[in-house]
Amino acid sequence: MVKRLSELPEVEARHLANIKCPTFDDTPPLAGPPLAQRRVVLISTAGLHARGDRPFQPGDATYRVIPAETPAGDLVMSHISVNFDRTGFQQDLNVVFPIDRLRELHAAGDVGSLSAVHYSFMGAFDPAMAEQHAQQLAGLLKRDRVDAAVLVPV
Amino acid sequence: MGALGHYLERAGIPTTGISLVREHTEVVRPPRALWVTFELGRPLGVPDDAAFQRRVLKAALKLFERTDGPLIADYPEEVPEPADLTGWACPIMLPGTQAAAGSAGTLAAEVDSLGAWHGLAVRGSGRSTVGVSGLAMPAAAALVAQALDGRFAPANLLKQAIDDLKAYYLEAAAAFPTPGTPAERKAWLWGETAFGRALLALQPKLAAADDAGLRLLGNLTLVPATERHRLNPA
Repeated sequence: MVKRLSELPEVEARHLANIKCPTFDDTPPLAGPPLAQRRVVLISTAGLHARGDRPFQPGDATYRVIPAETPAGDLVMSHISVNFDRTGFQQDLNVVFPIDRLRELHAAGDVGSLSAVHYSFMGAFDPAMAEQHAQQLAGLLKRDRVDAAVLVPV
Repeated sequence: MGALGHYLERAGIPTTGISLVREHTEVVRPPRALWVTFELGRPLGVPDDAAFQRRVLKAALKLFERTDGPLIADYPEEVPEPADLTGWACPIMLPGTQAAAGSAGTLAAEVDSLGAWHGLAVRGSGRSTVGVSGLAMPAAAALVAQALDGRFAPANLLKQAIDDLKAYYLEAAAAFPTPGTPAERKAWLWGETAFGRALLALQPKLAAADDAGLRLLGNLTLVPATERHRLNPA
């Protein structure tokens, strides 16, 4: 469990405290229609991709495409970091990539529709390198009429 | 993760997100974030608990209603601590438990001995996360053994082979009778297997390699921070 860093074992707290985070001018959250009318996409930074797709490599700020119908057993993780638990993912895809939960919320009418394609980056990227790929992805999402992106870290 | 929130929202895509490390999110200040206290690697909290995961996802989605950001909402629910199984011992006798570190034959025999357990695990769960490298497990183990002899595969392939082996071991161990907790199985991998000993023996060799990719592997992406105490001090 990750509480405040001050509550973690020293070795883990030191590792996390040493990660340099980028800073940005504030980005105002956009308004939009009610969730029941929105089209939702999942964007993971767990380094997920279909088995056989290009594994992520150190410094890789690109993303992989995950068609919604990809069977859970076809998804693997090539995040380069070793400093997070993978046994949860091994047990249940949804603890990292909640695609079945999203489907359930859609079936219940809580969200309007689901993107036919979801995406994954590998979180250990240089933010400056990722910007161009994120902008390109935004163009794809707009063409797909997505107006709700759920960002899931690992 | 938070950087993507800035980039996408500025490009016109509304975002919400989960935060696992509040201190990081307080610096990055993405438009919307739901801070959870879960273990790194488990952003939805609890495997195989659909109701728990659904509550987390709904809380993250609910933030779309708000435009008063950048905002960090604190998710109130915590994951119960796992049951204390102090005294857990691996119930499986592996072939090389007493052997020297890095013996190629020992590692190969160990990988082979886990095959039945891994098969059981896959039949139980219907899936495996092994398969990034494209190598069969004996071939992946052979790359590790060769690296211990100073014959290194390309860094990315060696890293993928090692990560596949880690997944193979941990998935297999989850199928043991009385499998213990994930933390106990990870302690088993690093403390009791020939593979764990091989990785610890490999670390200084990689850290001293000529190739920058191999040095990166040895220094940063081989042994988790929580296991580095097992390395011999240089």
